[in-house]
Amino acid sequence: MFKEKILIIEDDVQIQNFMVYTLENAGFSVEGAVNGKDGISYMVRKNADLILLDLGLPDIDGMEVLHKIREWSEVPIIIVSARDQDKEKAAALDDGADDYLTKPFSATELMARIRVALRHYYRMNQLESEERPDDTVYVNGNLKLDNGAHIAYKDDKEIHLTPLEYRLLLLFMQNPGKVLTYHTILRKIWGEGYGEDTQVLRSVMASTRRKIERNPAKPEYIETEIGIGYRMREHEAVK
Amino acid sequence: MIKKKEILHSLLKLVGIVFAATVLGKIFIELGFPETNIVVMYLLAVLLVARFTSGYQYGILSAVVSLICYNYFFTEPYHTLAVNDPGYLITFSIMLTTSILTSALTTKEKLLTEEANEKGKESQILYMLSSKLSDAADMEAVLKIAAESISHLIQVNVGCIYVGRQSEPIYIQQSGKEQIHRSVPDADEIRKIYANLRTEYLEEEEAYGYPVNGREYLLAVVKIDKTVDAEHLQEKKKLLHSIMENVSMAMDRIEVTIERVRDRESMERERERANLLRAISHDLRTPLSGIMGTSEILMDMTDKEDRRQELLQGIYQDADWLKSLVENILSLTRLQDGKIVIQKEMEAIEEVIGCAVAHVERSFPEREIQVEIPDEFRLVPMDAKLIEQVITNLLDNAVKHTRPQETITVSAGYTEDTLLVSVRDEGEGIAEADVSNLFKIFYTSKTRSADVKRGIGLGLTICETVVNAHGGTITGRNRTDGKGAEFIFTLPLTEGGREIV
Repeated sequence: MFKEKILIIEDDVQIQNFMVYTLENAGFSVEGAVNGKDGISYMVRKNADLILLDLGLPDIDGMEVLHKIREWSEVPIIIVSARDQDKEKAAALDDGADDYLTKPFSATELMARIRVALRHYYRMNQLESEERPDDTVYVNGNLKLDNGAHIAYKDDKEIHLTPLEYRLLLLFMQNPGKVLTYHTILRKIWGEGYGEDTQVLRSVMASTRRKIERNPAKPEYIETEIGIGYRMREHEAVK
Repeated sequence: MIKKKEILHSLLKLVGIVFAATVLGKIFIELGFPETNIVVMYLLAVLLVARFTSGYQYGILSAVVSLICYNYFFTEPYHTLAVNDPGYLITFSIMLTTSILTSALTTKEKLLTEEANEKGKESQILYMLSSKLSDAADMEAVLKIAAESISHLIQVNVGCIYVGRQSEPIYIQQSGKEQIHRSVPDADEIRKIYANLRTEYLEEEEAYGYPVNGREYLLAVVKIDKTVDAEHLQEKKKLLHSIMENVSMAMDRIEVTIERVRDRESMERERERANLLRAISHDLRTPLSGIMGTSEILMDMTDKEDRRQELLQGIYQDADWLKSLVENILSLTRLQDGKIVIQKEMEAIEEVIGCAVAHVERSFPEREIQVEIPDEFRLVPMDAKLIEQVITNLLDNAVKHTRPQETITVSAGYTEDTLLVSVRDEGEGIAEADVSNLFKIFYTSKTRSADVKRGIGLGLTICETVVNAHGGTITGRNRTDGKGAEFIFTLPLTEGGREIV
């Protein structure tokens, strides 16, 4: 049976043990490295299907490890970091990390993030080979977005979105489960030269939420990641 | 004694000078000089008397005596006080007026000179004193200078007792040229007596006690031996006051310096303490993640019916509680450090509330929290991470004090210039005794036993610290519209408020 290989680059032995155990139990093959150099050299020699990377490593900065690996590999990388490192987290996401986990995290959270990252990775690979069609219909829970007809539905009823709201929703529907930083969203929707002013983004997000969420302060679809960005939660499709 | 001698002395001078003028007049007459010379002679005599005696009386007296002598010896009929020629009456009156005026002017001139000299001396003394005082590095040095200069001024033994608030009492006594340390009898007693003093000084058994008051409280007492010459003391009263004023200023300065040093030290200590707490908390995080993760795995491995499941759950919950304590301590020390760091950005309160609610619902899956937000969308300057923690703490608190079926509601609203966020519950409310202590550090309600539900008063303290640092307010009270407690905090909508740098 094919086992996906996960590389854990983490200097804390306890957390390393905990992650190794959880992942092996879930059927992954796991490899651990306790510093950045070992991690990179393992990647070079043997490759892995996903990397869990601690930002605070004893030898080199986690960001440097991320940059090195991104030079040649598109492997999903999930950042593991402390609570007060929002800036670093956002920077890592902008520089190619796929997701992040804040210590302390639970086994459930860890598994959920890994599944999302892997699924996302495979989907992207698949789409790249097939050429992503422009008229895809995206479905998530009770939300449906028909990109061919340019229409969004909630509970099978059409919802009226402004062009900006539509593009914002489309971006999230295309990246379910993945955290998108303010920087990424601004670049994708407002363009490269727009800058870092998130105020307009917040306001478009607020109006979009008022159309797709039952209670915008208890969002079921687009969740806030304070100080970093937003993430669309994945729901089972409802028939 | 001195006075009588002085009077006798002055009178002798007067008689001598007038006598000399009379003799000279006689000689002038013999030589056949005109009579006017004699008048001028007497005027000179009066001037000299006024110059060499002190006080107006001798000058005036000499003017009168001179007039009589002139009348007696030099006007016809000689050797009587009568005059033949009425024209002399005019001479007499002019002579008298002139001599009196001259003597008065001379005397006044002399008095002014004396006064100026005296003033010069006094300012010299004060100047020396203040330059010495400004060099004084501590309270004892000031006391020594004060005792020495006052004792020098009034020529008796002087004691100075420091009873201010910033250091221990000190008693320095000047006995002749010697300075001795004495033990202070009872500083509190001294403070009490002199605080109620209504007169300028206090008469004691052996000394007069003068209070030296600072800007806010009694600083010292100057004791002057009772053998002091009362008149001399009266004369030097003004100077004595100036000296004491200078001393009081110097003492105030030293008091302030000591206080400042002490404040700085205590701030330094506070900061070190916070840093230590912070370092420890920081290091606790990683092992806590390990404990939580490992106990979670063990729970997964253990059969649901196994009694070990419960024990593992205990480990997990304790670790989780420790984790939130650590997060709270980190936020609090960050804020109380003094050199923070509120990173305000324009944020949407609905997003912040959403995160806090999601967080609390994850920790307490059996609870559902109601959220009410206005349709209006506004961005408010805040440090979103910290405000999220405030709301999380308030919700945690509400969960702890309610039963599962009782509703907890978070709501937000805007007034003209503030954002208002409230967390309401339907629990037992706040006990009377706790209302005023809600936000105190480490205060946990005393009305329930500590084992029932754990809470370390930090949560609400952080809420207050964070909200205040944003320029807002927080209050806790019992609801007026029903059962339960209600916590409301406000944040200013504009960036005008106090900013911590």
